[in-house]
Amino acid sequence: MLAAWQAQTAPAVKTGVVAAADAFTIGENQPTDQAAQIQNLILQGYDAIVIDAASTTALNGAVQEACDAGVVVVSFDGIVTAPCAWKIVNDFHEWGREQVDYMAKRFPDGANLLEVRGLPGTFVDDDLHQGIVDELKHYPKLHIVSSVEGDWAQDVTQQAVAGVLPSLPHIDGVLNQGGEAYGVAQAFRASQREMPVIIFSNAQDELAWWAEQHRKNGYQSIAISNAPGIAMVAFWVAQRILAGEDVPKHLTVPLYHIRQDELSEVLAHTPKGSVADQIFTRADVERLIQQARDTQAASTQPNTAPATDQAKNPSAAQEIQP
Amino acid sequence: MNTSQPVEAVVALRGVHKQFGAVRAIDGIDLTLTPGECVGLVGHNGAGKSTLVNLINGTLKPSRGEIDSHVTRGGRGSAIRSVFQELSLCPNLSAAENLRIAHPTLKGLGWRRRAGAEIRTSLDQVFPGHGIDTDARVDTLSIAQRQMIEIAIGFAPRGGQARLVILDEPTSSLDAGIAEQLLAYVERFCAEGGTVVFISHMLGEIFRVASRIVVMQDGRVVAERASQDFDRDSLVDAMGHVAQHAPSAEQRRHAEGSVSAGAASATVIEDAAGLSARRGEIVGLAGLAGHGQAEALAKLYFAGTSGWRAPRQPRMAFVAGDRGRDGVLPLWSILRNLSLSVLPAGAHRGAVDRRAEATLGREWQQRIGIRSDDLGNPITSLSGGNQQKVLFARALASSAPIVVMDDPMRGVDVGTKQEVYALIRAEADAGRTFLWYSTETEEVCQCDRVFVFRDGKISAELSGAEINEERILAASFEMQEN
Amino acid sequence: MTRHSISPRKLLPLISFSVLLIATFALQERAMSYLGLNLLFNLTIPIALATIGQLLIMVNDIDLSVGAFVSLVACIVSTLLVQHPWLGWLALAGLVLAYAALGALIHRFELPAIVVTLGMSFIWGGLALVIMPAPGGTSPEWLRALMTVKPPLAPMAVVAALLIAAAAHLLIMRSGIGTVLRGLGGNSRSVARAGWRLSGLYALTYGLAGVFGVLAGLTLVGLYTSSGASVASSYTLLSIAGVILGGGEFIGGRVSPIGAVLGALTLSLAGSLLAFMHISPDWQIGAQGAVLILVLAARLLFTRREALI
Repeated sequence: MLAAWQAQTAPAVKTGVVAAADAFTIGENQPTDQAAQIQNLILQGYDAIVIDAASTTALNGAVQEACDAGVVVVSFDGIVTAPCAWKIVNDFHEWGREQVDYMAKRFPDGANLLEVRGLPGTFVDDDLHQGIVDELKHYPKLHIVSSVEGDWAQDVTQQAVAGVLPSLPHIDGVLNQGGEAYGVAQAFRASQREMPVIIFSNAQDELAWWAEQHRKNGYQSIAISNAPGIAMVAFWVAQRILAGEDVPKHLTVPLYHIRQDELSEVLAHTPKGSVADQIFTRADVERLIQQARDTQAASTQPNTAPATDQAKNPSAAQEIQP
Repeated sequence: MNTSQPVEAVVALRGVHKQFGAVRAIDGIDLTLTPGECVGLVGHNGAGKSTLVNLINGTLKPSRGEIDSHVTRGGRGSAIRSVFQELSLCPNLSAAENLRIAHPTLKGLGWRRRAGAEIRTSLDQVFPGHGIDTDARVDTLSIAQRQMIEIAIGFAPRGGQARLVILDEPTSSLDAGIAEQLLAYVERFCAEGGTVVFISHMLGEIFRVASRIVVMQDGRVVAERASQDFDRDSLVDAMGHVAQHAPSAEQRRHAEGSVSAGAASATVIEDAAGLSARRGEIVGLAGLAGHGQAEALAKLYFAGTSGWRAPRQPRMAFVAGDRGRDGVLPLWSILRNLSLSVLPAGAHRGAVDRRAEATLGREWQQRIGIRSDDLGNPITSLSGGNQQKVLFARALASSAPIVVMDDPMRGVDVGTKQEVYALIRAEADAGRTFLWYSTETEEVCQCDRVFVFRDGKISAELSGAEINEERILAASFEMQEN
Repeated sequence: MTRHSISPRKLLPLISFSVLLIATFALQERAMSYLGLNLLFNLTIPIALATIGQLLIMVNDIDLSVGAFVSLVACIVSTLLVQHPWLGWLALAGLVLAYAALGALIHRFELPAIVVTLGMSFIWGGLALVIMPAPGGTSPEWLRALMTVKPPLAPMAVVAALLIAAAAHLLIMRSGIGTVLRGLGGNSRSVARAGWRLSGLYALTYGLAGVFGVLAGLTLVGLYTSSGASVASSYTLLSIAGVILGGGEFIGGRVSPIGAVLGALTLSLAGSLLAFMHISPDWQIGAQGAVLILVLAARLLFTRREALI
């Protein structure tokens, strides 16, 4: 995400759209460190802070300080609940629904599904799971026969899946939350069961494995993910806000899909150990903002314009990332 | 106020016994301390003085017998105060703060001011013109100043009144002038009806302040008389007699012409303080405990052995007296404890030669009589005396020409002692040199030559027939009468 | 009370703090304002409180469970105290009592505090996870209001730091019982001889440390508005470093509460300074260590020189 940020903010800085776009990280994924960092950034006089929050709530104190000091705070991916901050998210609910839809298309006559959940207690896990549950109501022939917790980690997933497999009937498809697919595949291979349809993410190792299976036996699937390009959406949103534009507080970024026919090309452009990414340009973001504005206008009464009258001179944007 | 008071005992001990495990520290003592008297308490190390002090001040409870007192005894607000030989102030606090710890009624706002005033008054009374900053942290003061503060806290009212003050070697770190101030104050304090128990190895001081002298030995009071009924010689006599059950020094100071100990043999140790030893000689370090003997040994030992690499042929071996602290390795077996000193010499390319080690263990088990059926047992399975034998074996098994022994016979029974004496004598005759610090006169009498220590310095060098209890005691105690 | 003994060594915590503060102001003049000072120091308030708790124990022991304990307190504050206030307070009081009992046990059975507190850190951490499996929670309204209060003249962070320093100084350095507690570190035998019950004193020491730990957890939640089972995990080392930086020593009861508060502030200042210098946060822990070593080296120099005089 950092690489994408640097590659794409550099031209913006060069052309003078923003004065500087420095990136900061924290050593450990500790919200307390991030809060301290936000406070230091306020002191350094940045006009906007773009942040991938390590905690939805623990940064609210610091974010409020920033807002009080007139700093624009845009949170993305890991968002904060502080009302003054902009929130840019992928639609995780949608992610869950799309997985079910794909399975319904592949198995019109019904299927046994295994669900791999993520880190318990997080809103991402909750939303994604809810999306799956909601969509399944439309397809009575699809059944989730078991659900395991993978904590968004390959090794945890592999162990969890291997643990339940012996007790399960034939599995046709595996739903997950992105990043577990390889672990699932390993567990199925070890049990010598037939390989189910696994939804992949944008990780290069998963895509490579998928391509290899496709070459060998025509294996077909789809990859759905929240690509790191979302950081760029946040950057451009911050820039638009500083430029005085009226941007809704909530923006939803579409998910990144890799379909079977796109696989080989995407894989060719993705370096080993990296992730496939989706690029959001300034124009893309402006379109997103417009869409959000339209839905907002459609759904709510007309006078809910967010207060964005501070910070008229766009000089800097800022990314923090756990 | 002393006129109106009936002459009632401040503290009275009747038939008091105190036992620690099998050790009888106090073995039947009757003692009455009355207002206005200063009692000099003398005796050897280990005679039971400290235990007696702790019984009187209420720290310890007697195993048998009664202790009566009509003043508050023990706890905070005690009218019986003890000033100990080892400094027992809190070094991180000021004099006033140290007073607070022993003062139950210093409370509320302004306690610091009151504490400062009280400790200054007390210091002014005992040591006029002391010049001590009572707000300075104690560890920034000199040892003498700390001792003075401790004494002043002992005499301070502390919300009540000091009725009995026990001074344990109070002048050990004071110079003569300050010590004289203290003695003068003790006299005044007693004249006003207070009671003092004065413990000192400075017999001159005892004669100077004590109205009565109590002599202790082996947990008993062996003499108790008005001080004018003692003189220097009779006091030393009363303090010490040592059972001569060991082979007499004269007999043992072996036949003329024997190889060892002859003046002709080479000097192997000589240090700046005057300590020296010749090849095959057993040299004793005597004097009261804590007068620099252990330090002298440690200095000698570390000077002779320190180095990054342990040499294959060590120059000195060490037998610890404080087994727990610097002798025994409690987690190891008897054998491993024994063979420790010879491991480097018996090792093949860094690996221990197990068979040689076992042979060595068996050999020494027989020679020194370690009572255990399996040397693989942990060393802690042995009795104290047998553990000590292992430590002796460890030192003697090495090829070191010099063996340094730091009061090695602590907790060793009489039978074992005799065996070890013989062993040491045999090793000395074979050319080994022993440096032997002991607090027990009987052991010191085993030596060819004895250095008596006092206040960290050698106060006498005795040899041959001069080595006897009286000479050692005389050199241990300072006899100056000022 | 240091009328005539103000040595450079004692002033060292103040000197090192001042040097860093001046450097920070020079680098970032925005920090030199009401708002700036608050941003610079407000997140240090819980650390300063935890440091005082550590200092109490460091009178002659060390507490390796501070971080886990403060985290647990924060979890209770952000959940139980919000939903059932009186139950929350009861739980916090229970924690303080548990700490006091721990002190009495450590003394009674002559246990090494370093091992006991290390073990306890896992128990506190486990309890925190039970209460709060995932980060979250909210701050009680009054607490949030307290931590965002804008007093006249000086910002909250500065006022709070002064209050903590003054209260801790009065309690530990000036009060009678504080003096006895310090005496425990200097020479516990002599305290016992003076007739004090040592297990009672140990319980008091640990209980007070527990009180400061609870205060640290409360202020933490008030500042961050939420918590998690490991939210304060860095506090253990930070608090020890703060005590040391403030002129305290591991043994012997030589401590300085004012110094310790300054030490905690200095450590966080070092972090901010690095951020202003655009040095990667990856270096931050190392840089805090470097500050610690520098100050200790300076202290050693001063001590040596004092010894020569």
